[in-house]
Amino acid sequence: MSNPMDVLVVVAAIVLSPFVGGLLFGIDRKLTARLQGRYGPPIVQPFYDFLKLWGKSRIVANQSQMMYVYGYLLFTITALCLLALRQDLLIVIFVLAFGGVSLVMGAFAVKSPYANFGAQREILQMVAYEPILMLAAVAIWKQTGTFMVSDIFKLNQPLLLSLPLVFVALLIILTIKMRKSPFDIAASAHAHQEIVRGVYTEYSGPYLALIELTHWYELVLVLGIIGLFWATSIWAAAAIALVAFLLEIVVDNIAARMTWSWMIKFVWGTGISLSVVNIAALYLVK
Amino acid sequence: MDPIAQLLAVATLLPLVGGIVCYVIRNSVIRTLTVVVTAIALIGASLLLLQNGPFEYTPPPVAGIDWGTIIMVADFALLFVFLGLGLYLKNVLVTLLALAQIGLVGYFELVVAPHVEVKPALFVDELSIIMALIISIVGSLICVYALQYMPDHEEHKHLERSRQPRFFFWLVMFLGAMNALVFANNLLWLYFFWEVTTLCSFMLIRHDLTEESIANATRALWMNSLGGVAFAAGIPLLYMNAHTLSLKALIEGGARPETILLPLALFVFAGATKSAQMPFQSWLLGAMVAPTPVSALLHSSTMVKAGVYLVVRLAPAYVGTSLSTFVALAGAFTFLLTAVLAISQSNAKRVLAYSTISNLGLIIACAGINTPLAISAAIMLIIFHAISKGLLFLCTGTIEHKIWSRDIEDMEGLIGKLPITATITVVGIVTMLLPPFAVLISKWAAIEASVNMPWITLFFILGSAATVVFWVKWIGKLLGAPAGLNGGAERLEALYLAPLALLVGMAVLLSAFVAPLVDAVIARAVMPYYQVSGIAAAGSDLSTGVGFIVIWPLFLVLLLVILPVYLFVRVKAEEIRPAYMCGENISDLHTVEFRSLQDKAEPVVTSSYYFEKALGEKSLNAWANPVAIALLVLLVAGVMVR
Repeated sequence: MSNPMDVLVVVAAIVLSPFVGGLLFGIDRKLTARLQGRYGPPIVQPFYDFLKLWGKSRIVANQSQMMYVYGYLLFTITALCLLALRQDLLIVIFVLAFGGVSLVMGAFAVKSPYANFGAQREILQMVAYEPILMLAAVAIWKQTGTFMVSDIFKLNQPLLLSLPLVFVALLIILTIKMRKSPFDIAASAHAHQEIVRGVYTEYSGPYLALIELTHWYELVLVLGIIGLFWATSIWAAAAIALVAFLLEIVVDNIAARMTWSWMIKFVWGTGISLSVVNIAALYLVK
Repeated sequence: MDPIAQLLAVATLLPLVGGIVCYVIRNSVIRTLTVVVTAIALIGASLLLLQNGPFEYTPPPVAGIDWGTIIMVADFALLFVFLGLGLYLKNVLVTLLALAQIGLVGYFELVVAPHVEVKPALFVDELSIIMALIISIVGSLICVYALQYMPDHEEHKHLERSRQPRFFFWLVMFLGAMNALVFANNLLWLYFFWEVTTLCSFMLIRHDLTEESIANATRALWMNSLGGVAFAAGIPLLYMNAHTLSLKALIEGGARPETILLPLALFVFAGATKSAQMPFQSWLLGAMVAPTPVSALLHSSTMVKAGVYLVVRLAPAYVGTSLSTFVALAGAFTFLLTAVLAISQSNAKRVLAYSTISNLGLIIACAGINTPLAISAAIMLIIFHAISKGLLFLCTGTIEHKIWSRDIEDMEGLIGKLPITATITVVGIVTMLLPPFAVLISKWAAIEASVNMPWITLFFILGSAATVVFWVKWIGKLLGAPAGLNGGAERLEALYLAPLALLVGMAVLLSAFVAPLVDAVIARAVMPYYQVSGIAAAGSDLSTGVGFIVIWPLFLVLLLVILPVYLFVRVKAEEIRPAYMCGENISDLHTVEFRSLQDKAEPVVTSSYYFEKALGEKSLNAWANPVAIALLVLLVAGVMVR
């Protein structure tokens, strides 16, 4: 952080990411509405929602429930900053996991049937996506020789060309992280689910606003990791991230919500196999 | 006596003396004083050893008899005690294994090499000092905790005549035997103390003398005796091939004949039994019938740590061999499988036990990977697992004595009823699980060290994911109190609180200062045998050569998360709402009931997923134990077939 450029990167990551993430979710809502034959809200609707929630009075279940929301927010931002600073990819994943665990702890922090269900399922989602993310880091190590994000930018060839299957596995993870069908099982964008809003059930008002904000950061972070697969040019990186994002919206609209057991089987079966086959191929080719 | 000899005497013989005092004088005040004084002396001695640095020492003869003879006689006496125990318990396995050890040691002493002299007899390097610190600090705190726990325990059991003198004899003496074990250079001495720890744990596990505890202690005895036989068989084999019994000679550079791989494999096998690696996990799981301080001691600073100590200690001797690969594979398999098995458990002590076995598997896998980075990760894990696991056992013991249950489902909402204990437990779990705490940092180093053996990496990654499940479920139960302002006060006895507070403080502070710790101690334990340190400190941060972690910024974020809530957030009673129940809550707060069919009041029951059918012991052990046996057979047989 001694470098002034680093300070700038951190400030940019913290200030700009919510606008990018919020807008992307706005686009998502618009596109989804159109796909469903509705007109849909303006694409800045997520920001209106945020401000409205932020202005509501505080309602809580106990005096420390908000701590876990701060944990979710701050550790996700930290993970994003570490990525922006081109640090160790495994550490980015671990810090992001602290954010995820914090959200789960928040859902557990009051004896609530719906939040408890959501929390149990959220743990399973973490179990599903953590190995894929870590395997992606290992696959990238195989190409760069280190776990540092900075070394990805030294490659002459985009990672996507050598790691296509790992990339596909990551797209599955993007669906889970965006809480999109078929994986919107721990909490969905809408409250009319069998477990109400799952992990979010016991949060309202400003704390729900902070959760939304975190979600925007999280989206930018995961899209950032996806962008690493074409890191030879910033535009190419942004383009593949955008394509991946649009693909998710299509998947969300054509898929139904599945059960957690299906999710585990699918992600551990298909996702891990894809990654392992890809990594094995790298070992065999060299 | 020179100061070094005094320190060694305090570290190894004082616990024996303290134990005898506890045994002979049946007075609780004297006992408390003895244990506390021994604890302080041990902690002081271990810190002085750290300050003194590595050294070698051979104790002078006592009254004309040299220590080699004393230990040999004691060793035979001990083996005959095992034989007697086997006959007394009418257990064929224990008897036969004791006979086998007597035969092997007798064969060595009488036929192969009568009266071998190993100089130096004791060899204390940075790894020994690290072990001595763990044994003396964590172990002593557990003994102090037991001073409060055991009277409560006996009161609950309605004992007429206290069995505490005997209990504290074995508990305190254990620490001395462990210290001696990690100082020994002569493998015959190491073997003797190895067997002493087996005896101590047998006596402590069967302490309550219930049918179950006697059965489980007997199982622990035969499984560890099997390891003892492997150890005793390794000694003559090693001597015939390498003409030395000096650990130091074995691990310091120079060409090693390939023929020493078989005795090394046998020593590793012995380490695997002592560390309760699959398929021997059942002895450590059974050991939880003992009073909780025993579990805390066995799992954190003694017994199982002797196993991984031996495997890590010998790692430089088998670096670059096929044995090393098998060690990595066996350890990684146990790491993954036991982490998965832990998910299906609701008994807190079983969860902790599986987590211990899993972490020991990770340590052994690191020893098998056998690069400087992997060995650094293994040593870090030994340190930080001991602190956090000792802490979590003591937390479980405290909770058990408050709610008289060790079932995680019964711990629901403890944060409201026992805020101090529950908070410490949650922090303890977080130090096992999340960054920036050192157990996770060690795991990170282990993963980055493993990438040249991609199958091991896959085991590590899947095992880490499984680890998240059982810890977070447990945290969730502790936190799940009914809505409302929890301000319940908890009265926690000083002898409970002090060890808990010291251990949780150590887990957090040593994590924050892990970089200087790596620089000052861990790197120096690795460098002599691997030339490079593997993991390097950069200010307060750490570098693995292929990765980098900033530590203090992460602690700063953690403070930013926690402090504002305690300093600035003031929630008023009117801002509290009960949990959402589709508008069918019975009363506003505190009662967690909802209106069911015909307006009947129905209590809300929340419980965790355990996946008993898919991940339970019944379904997994059926194939996992045979695979684990095959891996260990391969480990030993693999070096013979070439």
